[in-house]
This record gives sequence, structure tokens and C-alpha cells, in this order.
Amino acid sequence: MDELLGEFIAETQETLEALSSIIVAWEADPCDRDRLDSVFRFFHTVKGSCGFLNLPRFERLSHAAEDVLSKVREGNLTPNPATISAVLSVMDRIAELCSALAAGTTPPLENDDFLIEALRHSQTPEGQAESEAEVSNPAAVADQKGKATAGPRTIRLPLSLIDQLMNGVSDMVLSRNELSRKLRDRESDPELEIAFERLSSCIADMRDTISKTRMQRVERLFMAIPRMVRDLSRDLGKNIELTLEGGDVEMDREMVEMVVDPLTHIVRNSIDHGIEMPTDRIAAGKSETGHLRLSARQSGSHILIEVVDDGRGINVDAVVRKIISTGVMTEQEVARLSEQERLDLIFSPGLSTAQQVTSISGRGVGMDVVRANVERVGGIITLTNEPGQGLTITMRVPLTLTIIPGLILRAGGQLFAIPRSSVIEILHDNNSTIDISRLGGADVATIRGVRHSMVDLETVIGLEKAVQSTPRTIMVVRSVSGMPYALAVSNVENHEELVIRPAAPIIMSSGIFAGMTLPDNGQPMLLLDAGGIAQAAQLPLDQTRRENLAANDLGSEADRGERHSALQFIELSGIERLIRLSLVERVEDVPIDAFGCIASQPYARIEGRLLPCVYSVTPEIAGQEDSITCLRIRDGLREVCYPVRTICDIFEISDDLDMAAPNGHVAGLAIVDGRQIEVVDNFALFASIPDIEITTEQSMRCVIVDGDDNWNREILMPLLAQAGYDVAIGATPTQNDIVLRMGSDKNDPPIAIDPQIPLVRLRPNSKPTGVGDNSIYRYDRAGLLQAIATVSKGRKSA
Amino acid sequence: MSELYLFAHIAGTPVAVRTDEVQAVVKISEISPVPAVPVQVAGLAALRSRVLTVIDVAALIDPKLADAENRSYAIVCDISGHIYGMLVDKVSDIRAVSEPALPLHGKTDAAWAHYAEGVIENDGEAHLLVSLRNFIENSAIGLAA
Repeated sequence: MDELLGEFIAETQETLEALSSIIVAWEADPCDRDRLDSVFRFFHTVKGSCGFLNLPRFERLSHAAEDVLSKVREGNLTPNPATISAVLSVMDRIAELCSALAAGTTPPLENDDFLIEALRHSQTPEGQAESEAEVSNPAAVADQKGKATAGPRTIRLPLSLIDQLMNGVSDMVLSRNELSRKLRDRESDPELEIAFERLSSCIADMRDTISKTRMQRVERLFMAIPRMVRDLSRDLGKNIELTLEGGDVEMDREMVEMVVDPLTHIVRNSIDHGIEMPTDRIAAGKSETGHLRLSARQSGSHILIEVVDDGRGINVDAVVRKIISTGVMTEQEVARLSEQERLDLIFSPGLSTAQQVTSISGRGVGMDVVRANVERVGGIITLTNEPGQGLTITMRVPLTLTIIPGLILRAGGQLFAIPRSSVIEILHDNNSTIDISRLGGADVATIRGVRHSMVDLETVIGLEKAVQSTPRTIMVVRSVSGMPYALAVSNVENHEELVIRPAAPIIMSSGIFAGMTLPDNGQPMLLLDAGGIAQAAQLPLDQTRRENLAANDLGSEADRGERHSALQFIELSGIERLIRLSLVERVEDVPIDAFGCIASQPYARIEGRLLPCVYSVTPEIAGQEDSITCLRIRDGLREVCYPVRTICDIFEISDDLDMAAPNGHVAGLAIVDGRQIEVVDNFALFASIPDIEITTEQSMRCVIVDGDDNWNREILMPLLAQAGYDVAIGATPTQNDIVLRMGSDKNDPPIAIDPQIPLVRLRPNSKPTGVGDNSIYRYDRAGLLQAIATVSKGRKSA
Repeated sequence: MSELYLFAHIAGTPVAVRTDEVQAVVKISEISPVPAVPVQVAGLAALRSRVLTVIDVAALIDPKLADAENRSYAIVCDISGHIYGMLVDKVSDIRAVSEPALPLHGKTDAAWAHYAEGVIENDGEAHLLVSLRNFIENSAIGLAA
């Protein structure tokens, strides 16, 4: 009896799950006979079984629902939304009773009459008239039953049994491998070998079959979604159109179960917080109906599940404010974050941006739990936010507990595995098609003209790079964004079919492993996660650069935007660079003693003026030269001096860089004649020079009246000279000069000064002596220079 | 009601473990090291077709005591579906103790505070009652302290 009951519960629960999506579709199209039949069949089966099992509550509920549905089937009743809702609530009650039965607890003591009443009331009057008659059509039901059994026959198995089988097969593979090693040591015996081969292939087949038992279509994951979307959108008064894609992708049964909760939560959030009310949507210029799209697809050894809505997106500022107000981070800390990091704050514990707590979400259990759940199974969750336009949440979960073809590689003296599907290409670093260069501390591998970010595996996992006589191996692997990068390891040892199991959370938390495996040599090793490594190494692999790369792959020069002339030169340090030719005003040889440094800002004295210099020229780097070639670069207002060793050539290059990698004065790389050359970032070049004008108009002269004063001579004069002014001390001022003088009028030295000549007055104390005192404190450098500049500007405009 | 305990030494301290947490005690021969993980993770070891995550519990108590190579016995346990091997100094006894666990006396060392649940007497010697689960689940707190 217990066995029968267990079977009844399992079957009912399974059918309920499958039905929830069907019934929503049926609501959309009440004439759909097939769907109606499936729902009807469910209640009929429940009614039949529970009569036998003595479950009166089930019987009453299913009978009432069956009644209504049979009328619909005969065309006596047109289902309206109220009918559907009533049928759904009966299904929910049956599900509740089922789980209570399964758990052995007391079923919820609610009155079923209420539900049954609701069912009856939902009927149209004509239906009610006939409700007394028992109108089930036995012939039709028999027909349906026949159809139901026509599908493939299935049995139900506990998951633990499959796990045991799986472990057994793994044990078998291991002992086969051991046997194989022993056989290799012996003298060859063809008969024995043939027998062994047969055994091997049997085991391989069996392993394949067993691993299939664990796979399940993602459809099952999506099954509950339509019902949920329907209920929620109805409760909230929103119109939502749901699209499901990729239900036929298969993934591990266990993984499906682990992903259900996070997915449900994300969909709830999208409906509750993401998609706006119809009126708000119209006001925002969007269609009244919100769109929600769920898709699943396989990408290498991962399944990508995407939830895309066209709602209002995440208000990052609100998240930031909330974070600051809860004291998790200070304003300063938040200010240092990148845009993506700020967006990721949504994953902080206990955060809810909802204005009020609703029944659907906003109870404080938030995205942190979702992320924790996804990460627990070795998955990654990423957000793409377009404020006002929508939000895309991508869950990337591994297909664990499967057998995958893998490569075994060595790095830092240890062995690791990597899924073969994530490896695109393997090369030795002495291969002529590969060119490895360093740019601003980052490694770049150029393979047949395509540039990849490169990283040493040892660096990422914190091991010493082993010294080796053989060339290192470069693997081109796929990252999460799909953009490949180069991973350098000592060597690749072997390839093998690997049974992957999830690794302990403490190991997974490093983010660079996808699981563990026991290969044929019996030595356990970890499976590397190519995407995780790229993230841990912080490689720049985002979408925009991928497009950049794709354009380059096509080699279509027409698509690559405008071209301009660039001057190729070699810096004093020997680095080759390109600069936009139109910015170079002239090229000049500057004597070595004209270079100097003011407060760490290098400058060059050219034609009696001081020009800021891009880098400082010291005798060490200048070498034997008496003079240095300088490029004089102008942005229209300011001029910069760029010392170079030689000027090489002029090329036409595209405005779009072949690889954007902003770093200091370098904007990225351009390919010229098959070589990669750094391109100077003109913007960064001018942005980096100090704003204080080092150069000034020649005609402006500062006259310090009291030439005997020590302070004037030793402190003020050098300051002005340094600021680029001509300074005359103790001279008689003329019309074009500015007079600087210390103290008030009373202690003016007896030199007659034309009152037309502008005067800047200095005072020895920081506090002004009175209201009319417009003098400047003598140590207020900025104030002093400002005053002189104002006067000189006034003079020019006059 | 008597309960069965496994008595062992971890980081020189006598401890008692409820046997319902213990699957087996095995001698670990070869540990494959694992990079980029906390210090208490000694590595991976194969137990037939299963892979143990080997935890050097002593390193959890005091990182200076990490010495997985010289600890060959491990208590095998299943925690949240993952199989772990907890390295111990030595295993001394398995015995039923009828008295319930006694409360802790004195101020327990901060390192042990997250793992000790009580005291079990065996042959007149006091053993700290520990839960293997705590070594995995409380380890983050333990290291932060």
C-alpha cells in the first residue's frame, strides 16, 4: 500500500509540474483541444487513483474540476479567466496535499468547499443548469489513456541508485586502466589483448549510457515559469509577454534542481521590479506589454541561461545610495568602483531597492542568495544593465558530473585538467606564427595576426614557474564572454575522457576551478575553469573588444573607419611609437643642456621659452648626443615637447586601433607592415601636463620695485622667473610692465611710479589689514600668479 | 543513552567525534596539492574511485602547524554531499560513552572556540567534542578570528 501511495504522489507531482505550463497556454487559446485534454486527463487520473487509495479530499477536488472541464470539452461552457484561476487553485491545493502526504505531515486544514464553490461560480449560467448531470465521456477517456501509454515506457528510479551506478562505472574504468597498465608490462599476447579491447569498449559504452541517465531537458526548468508569470502579472496588473527558448538543451538533472530557485527569484524580480506598470511603460515610450525572454543554450562545458526583460533596469544610483546608507561601504569606497562593480553591488547581502515590501519580492532575501546558489554549483552570474531599457541576467552553470574530453596539462610542477571544448588551439611558444610581446606589463600573444591577452597559469594560481628546457605551451582558450585568450603552461601531457565531479566549496571558492576528476593514472586533479582564470587574472575580455577583434579578423579595411597619417619614431628608451602627424608642428634639434626639470615636471627651453616635456631627458638616456631631436606637438593652445631618438617614417593608419589598451601615454596597438607599434594617446599626453602655464608672453615684464630687499631678490624673483615672466629688479617700470611692491603706500620707497602702470601689492601677513586692503599675502603663490595673470590679460584686451 | 565516539588527536589536543559523522578512518598515501586555496586544504587524495578533499585540521587551528605530509591518518566524512578527509595526528579509540557531553570549562582558546561543542570523558581523560561539519562550515569564521 505504501508503495502504491508513493507512486501516486510521485506521478501526481510530476504531472502537475508538466501541466502548469500547459494550462497557461490553454488559457491563451481555450479552443486548444489537446491541452484541455491533458488537463482533464490529469484530474481524471487523480480521481481514479485516490478513490482506490482512500483519499477523500483529493477525490472531491478532482471530481469538481473534472466536472467543469468535461463541460468545456463538450462545448457547453466557454472557459473564462475565472474558470482557469479556479482550476489552477484546485491544482495548487492538490499539490499541497501531495507534498504533505509525501512528507508524512498533516495536510493543511483549509476548507476545500471554498475552492469547489469558486469552480462552480465561475461557470456560466447555462453550464450551471447541467451541472447535476454526470457527463463524463468514458469512450473519450479510454481513447486518451490509450494515447498516453503510446509514448516511450519509463520507470521511476531514485537518484541515489543512479549515483551508485555512476560510481560503479567509474570504479570499473579505473580498474580497467590498472589492468591496461599491467598488460603493457607483460609480453604481448594478441588473444588477451583482443579480449581486453572488447571489455574496454563495453565499459566505454556503458559509461556513455549511464551518463545519459542523468541528463534532462532544460524544459523542465522552464516548466513552472509560465504559470508564475501569469499569476504575478495578474496580481500586479502588468502585461507581460513571455518567450521561452532553448528548452531542448540538456543538462545534468541535479544541476536543473540547483538552478530552479535562483531562476525563479530572478524572474520574480524582473516582473516585480523590472517591468513597469502599463501606464508607466507608455509614458516611457515603450509598448504597453512588457517582454520577458528566457533562453538556454550550451556553450562549451557550460549552460548559459539568460533572463532578458525590457523593463526599467537597475537604478545603480539607488543601489549605491542604499549601500552607503546601510553603512556597508563609505562614499569614498564606492567612488573608487568601476561602473560594473557598482552594478554588482546589487549582490550585497540584505539589499532591496524596492520602495516598499511587496508580497512578491523585497523581503530582504535578494540577489546575494541568488548569487550564492549559482556559485555553489560552480556557476557565474553576470548582469548587463541598460537603465530605462532593460536588464539581462546571465547564469552560466557547468554541466557537472558528466564525462568530458579533457586535456591534462602541467604547470608549476602540478597536473591540471581543462575541458577540451574550451581549448581552441595549442602551440609552442617558439612557433613562428606566434609573437609574444609585453605592453605596459601585460602580455600580448599575436597568433597569425590576431592579438590575444596572454597570462601564465602559474601566475594566476600562485605557483613558481618551473625551469624547463623545452618550449612552453600556449593554449588559446575561450573565456566567459566567448572571446579567446592565451594561457601559457609548462606543457600539455595527455588527453583523456574525464569524469568530472563537483569540488568542495572551499576549493571552488577560488573561482578558477570547475571541478575535480580522477584520471586514469589514479591521481586526483582539478579541472580548470577557463573563464574563471580570465576573471582571476583580470584580463580585459569584454564585448566591445571582441567586436574590435572580429572586425580585424575579417580584414575588411573599409569597415575600419577613417585613416590618418601617423609619424613613426623611436623614443630615447628605444620603444617604437606612432603619433598623429597633424599634431606635430615641427621637428627640432634641442641641445642637451636645454633640458631640465621643475618640481618633477620635465621641460625643455626652446627659443627662450619653456615647453613641458613628455618625459625627462637625463644624460644617461641621451647617451653621447649633444642635441636631442624633439617633436613639438600642439593642441592649438599648448605645446608639448616630445624628445625622440630618431624619426623613422610616415604611415597611413586607421583611426580604429587594432587593439585598444589605454595605459599611460599609450592608446593601444596598431599593426604596420605586420609589426605592432604602440600608438600615442594624444589626449592623455596633453592631459598629463600641468595646467600652470609655463610659457608666457614675452612682452610682459614684472618689475620689483625694491631691489634691495632680500626676500624680493631671493624668493619672489625666482618664483616669477620660474612661472615664465621676465623679472627686472629695482628697474624703473615702463608702460608694458607690472609692478610688484611690498607693504602699504606709506612705506613706498621714494620712486615715482606712473599710476597707469598696473600694480600688484603684497603684504607680509596672511590676514588683510582692513576692508580696503586688496593686497596679496606674499606666500599665497596661486593668488599671486593669478593676480599677475589677470593684470596681463586685462592689458591684452585693452 | 550511550553514544559511540571516535577518539583522536588534532594539533596535539585530544578530541572526540560522534561516529555517525564518520564514514571511515583511512591511511592517506599520496596527496595531490591544490594551489590557490586556503592553507588548511592539504590537497586531493584518491580513495578508490572517490576523491577526498583532504583538510589538515591542525592548520585550521594554527596555520603554523600545517604539516600534511607527516599526518597519514584521515577521518573520512561526507559534508553537504562532498567527501572530505580530515587529517589527524593519531586515532586512539572508538568507544561508547554513556554520559552526555559536559559543558566547556575555562576559556577555550580562540582557535578552538568555533569548533568545540563540549567535553567527553574517556578513561578519565577529557576530550574536546568536535563536529567535523564545523571544520568545514565554520572555517571562514575561524580564520577571520
